[in-house]
Amino acid sequence: MNKLYIFLKYFFIVVWTVFVVAPFLWALTTSFKDFQSVNGGVTYIPWVDFEPNLEGWKVLIKSPAKGGVDIIEPYFNSLFVTCTASLISIILGTLSAYALSRYTFKAGFVKNNDITFFFISQRIMPPIVLSIPFFLFLSSINLLDSLTGLIVVYIVLLMPIAVWIMVDFFNKVPREIDETALIDGCNPYQAFLKVVLPNSIPGLIVAGMFCIIFGWIDFFFAFILTFTEVQLLPVKIVALNSSVTPWWSLSASALVSVAPLIIVAFIVERYLSKGNLSGAIK
Amino acid sequence: MAKIDLSNISHSYNPNDPNPVYALNPFSMTWENGNRYAILGPSGCGKTTMLNIVSGLVRPSAGRILFDDKDVTDLKTEDRNIAQVFQFPVIYNTMTVYENLAFPLKCRDFSKSKTDERVNSVAETLNLKSFLNSPARKLTADQKQLISLGRGLVREDVAAVLMDEPLTVIDPDLKFRLRRNLKEINEQYKTTLVYVTHDQNEAMTFADNIIVMSEGEVVQTGSPKELFERPNTTFVGYFIGSPAMNLFESEISSNDSVKINNTLIKTHTNLSNLKTKNIKLGIRSEFIKIAQNQNENLIDVNVQKVEDLGNYKLITAKMGDFTIKSKVTRETEIPNQNVKLHIPAEKCCVYEDNKLI
Repeated sequence: MNKLYIFLKYFFIVVWTVFVVAPFLWALTTSFKDFQSVNGGVTYIPWVDFEPNLEGWKVLIKSPAKGGVDIIEPYFNSLFVTCTASLISIILGTLSAYALSRYTFKAGFVKNNDITFFFISQRIMPPIVLSIPFFLFLSSINLLDSLTGLIVVYIVLLMPIAVWIMVDFFNKVPREIDETALIDGCNPYQAFLKVVLPNSIPGLIVAGMFCIIFGWIDFFFAFILTFTEVQLLPVKIVALNSSVTPWWSLSASALVSVAPLIIVAFIVERYLSKGNLSGAIK
Repeated sequence: MAKIDLSNISHSYNPNDPNPVYALNPFSMTWENGNRYAILGPSGCGKTTMLNIVSGLVRPSAGRILFDDKDVTDLKTEDRNIAQVFQFPVIYNTMTVYENLAFPLKCRDFSKSKTDERVNSVAETLNLKSFLNSPARKLTADQKQLISLGRGLVREDVAAVLMDEPLTVIDPDLKFRLRRNLKEINEQYKTTLVYVTHDQNEAMTFADNIIVMSEGEVVQTGSPKELFERPNTTFVGYFIGSPAMNLFESEISSNDSVKINNTLIKTHTNLSNLKTKNIKLGIRSEFIKIAQNQNENLIDVNVQKVEDLGNYKLITAKMGDFTIKSKVTRETEIPNQNVKLHIPAEKCCVYEDNKLI
């Protein structure tokens, strides 16, 4: 029974690993192939099945004049927009969530839960509904096709995530923690910064992770609100496609674009394994 | 350390409602400097609200709070210099035990040497010395509660230390030792300690003054002896003591005697001015003994059950419809089912409308 259990355990782990890792291996090998290797039947092993070359990768850094697509600038644009918007969303979202969790708001029939739902409802709406208002808004303040404009839009999109996660998190942090800090001599701001916030780091990490993921993978708004001046990575990757699909450079760009998320996942995983996130979902 | 005056305090959590419900009905009280007080009452009777009003976490709907005759009603919690320990451990998870204990001193800019001295002294008292550098979150629940307690005791100059059932999560052995430590701290530093509990034994052994509360009302304040022997209301009689006070529906028979089930019981209470004839007679089971050679205040009962509870025997007997409980020594022989019990007149309490006459 015990042996069967161990066998099944490892069997499922192997199956799952293959399931997760196979697309990456496929993308990795494809990124080193050329036209013939991609279209000449199934090939997997470099130097045996096909002769690897760096064409797929070179296209990503070559300027358009030399037949490349140059994703370096869009890549850093994406990093900058995602990180800035996530950071601002987390700061604003955390402050809003703390207020919603600890103080009572009432305006007619609107109460705390309604305000929280209002934030979440921003994410329930299909993005297409927001596209025209965003377009008109950014064009009226001359921020179309700019990094600042995108950051503003992304804050609107990411802050609800931060509010949603942090309200729930703060609700689970006992009020007595704040009260004890007040009794110990902190004013309400110090109580928040010195006591409640350090206790909420796991929640901040979870909220930050979601903001980064949703910000990084957004294609829709980046596509609609930018043209020539500013481009983000997802839009640039789509622009790689042509009548003959360049699987090799698409694969290389997919790997490059997923790299920051993998790094974030590794950092969070290390944090998780230390047990520091144990309170996050209590 | 301060004398705390609560003057005409009342509190409702919905004061603007047309029919506000009061968590605390108006009361006035003075907590003298350096005394030990216990607030005793069932859950939901307003004990915690009273503590929170004193610490400033709740602003009373009406009334004033004075620390050493200075009005602090509108003073914020952080400016009241008060310590409060909650029922469940509240620790700062991200700090070490030392940092937790030092936090109230750090917030008030105490010097490093003074902080070290106080933290070490409190850690010594609470057996936390060996954990000072450990992360607070890694400790057990009762050790965490010791940290909470330590944070409450680390400042010597607090107006009072308020404790809201602080020993609930602590194991009984340590609980006993801690109660003794708290008493020692009180005697040594003359710190005013206010201890909320629903456990009468805890209140009786800890405090020199007990405040009994019921449904938002302060029903009696007094020493453990006063509360035990002369409960102001039938509620106090019922709530304090184990088993609860024996209470019998009675009729007035003369100026100082009542009739229970056609048996005359003399009391030391003057009953001549009472408007109603129906009253209640209360007597503690500790004072009811098997009759020896007394010739009055005797009742004939039928013994239903005798429980040996280690250091005493508890007799449960019936007299007509009434159930009587009597605590006797283990050595007492209970002759047979029908026995005579003696009710000492000086220990009888007579209640009119559930209030002591």
